[in-house]
Amino acid sequence: MLNVLMLGIGQCGNRILDAVNRESFGGSSKLSKYYSRQKFPSRVETLAINTAVNDLKELKFTTAKNRLHVPNLHGVGANRSIGKQGFWDNREMIMEEIERRGDFDIAFVMTSASGGTGSSFAPLVVHELKERYKNITVVAVMVLPFREEGSIYLQNAAFSMRDIKEVDSDGIILVDNQYLKRLSGDIKTAYDKINDMVAERILFLIESLDSEMLSVTDLGDFKTVMRGGLGMGTLGFYESDKKTTSLTSAIEGSLKPGGLLYPADVYEDAARAMIIIQGSRDSLDVDEITKSVEKLSTKIGQVFKGIVIKKGRPKVLSVFTLGQVPDLEMLYAQAAQAIQDEKSRKTRAKKQLDDAFAYIEDLEEIY
Amino acid sequence: MRLIYLAVLVLLVLSMQLTLMAAAASDEEDIENEITSRQFSLKVGEGVKIGDYRVELISVVSVMDGLIEVKVWKRVSEFEDWRVMEDHRDANFDEGAERGGLTLTVIDIFDEEAVRMRAEYRTNFGYPQKYVTERALAPKNLPKLEVSTTVDKTEISVGDEVKATVTVKNVGNDTARDVTIQDSPPLPQFRYLAGYPPKIKNQLQPGESDLAVYSMVAATEGEVKMPATVARYADSKSTIYSATSPSIKIDINPKRRPNLVLNVDPPAPIKHGGQGTINVTVKNDGDASAYRVVVKAEVESQGDGLELLKGSLDESFFEIPQGELETYSATFKGSRSGIYDVNLKASYQGDGEMMQKETAFEVAVLEREYKYLYYLPIVPVLIMSVWLFRRYREYKY
Ligand SMILES: Nc1nc2c(ncn2[C@@H]2O[C@H](COP(=O)(O)OP(=O)(O)OP(=O)(O)O)[C@@H](O)[C@H]2O)c(=O)[nH]1
Ligand SMILES: [Mg+2]
Repeated sequence: MLNVLMLGIGQCGNRILDAVNRESFGGSSKLSKYYSRQKFPSRVETLAINTAVNDLKELKFTTAKNRLHVPNLHGVGANRSIGKQGFWDNREMIMEEIERRGDFDIAFVMTSASGGTGSSFAPLVVHELKERYKNITVVAVMVLPFREEGSIYLQNAAFSMRDIKEVDSDGIILVDNQYLKRLSGDIKTAYDKINDMVAERILFLIESLDSEMLSVTDLGDFKTVMRGGLGMGTLGFYESDKKTTSLTSAIEGSLKPGGLLYPADVYEDAARAMIIIQGSRDSLDVDEITKSVEKLSTKIGQVFKGIVIKKGRPKVLSVFTLGQVPDLEMLYAQAAQAIQDEKSRKTRAKKQLDDAFAYIEDLEEIY
Repeated sequence: MRLIYLAVLVLLVLSMQLTLMAAAASDEEDIENEITSRQFSLKVGEGVKIGDYRVELISVVSVMDGLIEVKVWKRVSEFEDWRVMEDHRDANFDEGAERGGLTLTVIDIFDEEAVRMRAEYRTNFGYPQKYVTERALAPKNLPKLEVSTTVDKTEISVGDEVKATVTVKNVGNDTARDVTIQDSPPLPQFRYLAGYPPKIKNQLQPGESDLAVYSMVAATEGEVKMPATVARYADSKSTIYSATSPSIKIDINPKRRPNLVLNVDPPAPIKHGGQGTINVTVKNDGDASAYRVVVKAEVESQGDGLELLKGSLDESFFEIPQGELETYSATFKGSRSGIYDVNLKASYQGDGEMMQKETAFEVAVLEREYKYLYYLPIVPVLIMSVWLFRRYREYKY
């Protein structure tokens, strides 16, 4: 059985973590925590970390003892420097809280890339985890901002992505709010939908890694996939509905852009891939699976295949890392532009202020 | 009696008519054969002259019984007749009026001293003339007895003994001789035990009294009128007198016997495993003591269903006097549900007879009650609320 640590940092991370916890109750009902029990496929410890108490209070499905408030800070106001300082000040307390939860094989550190708290804590937490746990696989789940959210968010995303790349994580799973915006009109429901999607996929992944698979894929394979390419990738998912019960269309569905959390052309951009198929015994045909994956494997070489026998309609999760991330590059470009703009605006403003001050140069205050 | 009166009346009317007819007839015929009728009052010691006949009232024997004693004699002749006459009954003296004698009838007895009479006789005897007899004139040294009969109780029951006391006292101023007591013949309602018939001294000096006691036992129920006791006696001239006692009424009630009434105060249905007490009251509602009272209970299907804890339903009492009651109780434990029929039988003696009384009642033992069943729904609710609260606490931040 895998020992899994899930950290949700910052508001975004917290809320995805809450979605994970809710998903584990098996129902979508708001009251499920009162009558149901959390059913994690593995031993899963969840911990929501935030500098803003209000964000923690907002959570519904995460137990109180799994919400860690980092004191003396009421949010960092998207300021990553303050965030980092906050982490250093409270590092032992935070890490102790994590270590108290035992040993882990794999950790998911979930955060938005653009906020203050999450984006500044996450790289440092990843680093600490790697330091403190010998054989841990640490995967960061980074949520990219809506592009129109403003220059600070863009900057934060750009710098935090760099930070997370610098620490030796075992991989980054990208979730792009901008890309997933199409799922809903208003932001609140969009957030909820995105969070649910992420939660569902990660839980599916854990479950699959922890099951007896027909075709061998394990944590090692997952790590191999995540370390491929740029060390960052995303997750695709497809669940057959009544109309499309064909295994082939399900597998293909999990690779189509519409099934991904981050916009990519899997066939063109993917570096390594793993496809996990879950379904009832009679619905799974190894030959058909091999055939369906063939198109991808001819492009990128070996595709790890996992097959899990489980009652229900076929579900497919694709995990892959990318060799190129054009959208992220664009984000960087935007961020750089934004920084440039900010800089010139600042110097302009400074200059205007200096000009204004020039009026009172040599003057004394008279009363 | 009424018939007799009626007959007498008819006779009277007839005779009056006859007289009238005779009178009418005698107008032409012999006036000497005509019969006339006159009424007159007499006191004891008085007499009436009717022609040569003398009618003297000797005594009123009994006002109640309508008896008087008269002496009728005829001057210068042998004829003398002492007779007790009955009220309203014609009596012929010297062959009666038709044959030249007298026919007397007592019409009314006023008291012990005076009567009213009617005489029929030949018209030529003239009017009756009163006179006072020698005896009345003579100084009265006569005995006079008073008789009384008393009983010790006038309301009794069959089987009860009654004592009757006959007292005779000479209240006159001469010795009463040849005193005899005549009680009415033995009454069928009584069995006579001792002293009957009552006997009194033969002679009683003035002022002397004697009594006779006898006892009897009531044999049949009903109202009994004990007739007057008559004492007869004679004075020194052998004149015979009599005295009577007032009569007495005695009520004889049905025989006395005990009557036991069993009253059971059964317990309210006994809870399973609970206790119930049965109170029994034995009351003697009769009018005699009940002896050797034995109460026995039979409980149907006694076994382990009704367990006796304290007391007993069986009891015995040596005597329960009339009007009194005895109570006792028994406590049971109901160890099996069901309805238990209990039969109580009391047997007892009263006046040599064995008697029995029974009563039946039920004791119910209820089904086992699962009291805590009521709490059962509370448990899950409690568990649920505790669970919910804990969950709430767990998630409350
Ligand atoms: N997918 C998703 N994105 C979110 C959610 N909440 C916030 N975000 C995104 O996260 C970014 C803001 O970061 P937050 O997580 O709110 O910031 P933080 O880590 O709490 O840091 P501070 O609030 O500055 O202390 C924005 O780009 C939001 O679009 C959420 O629930 N789901
Ligand atoms: Mg925040």
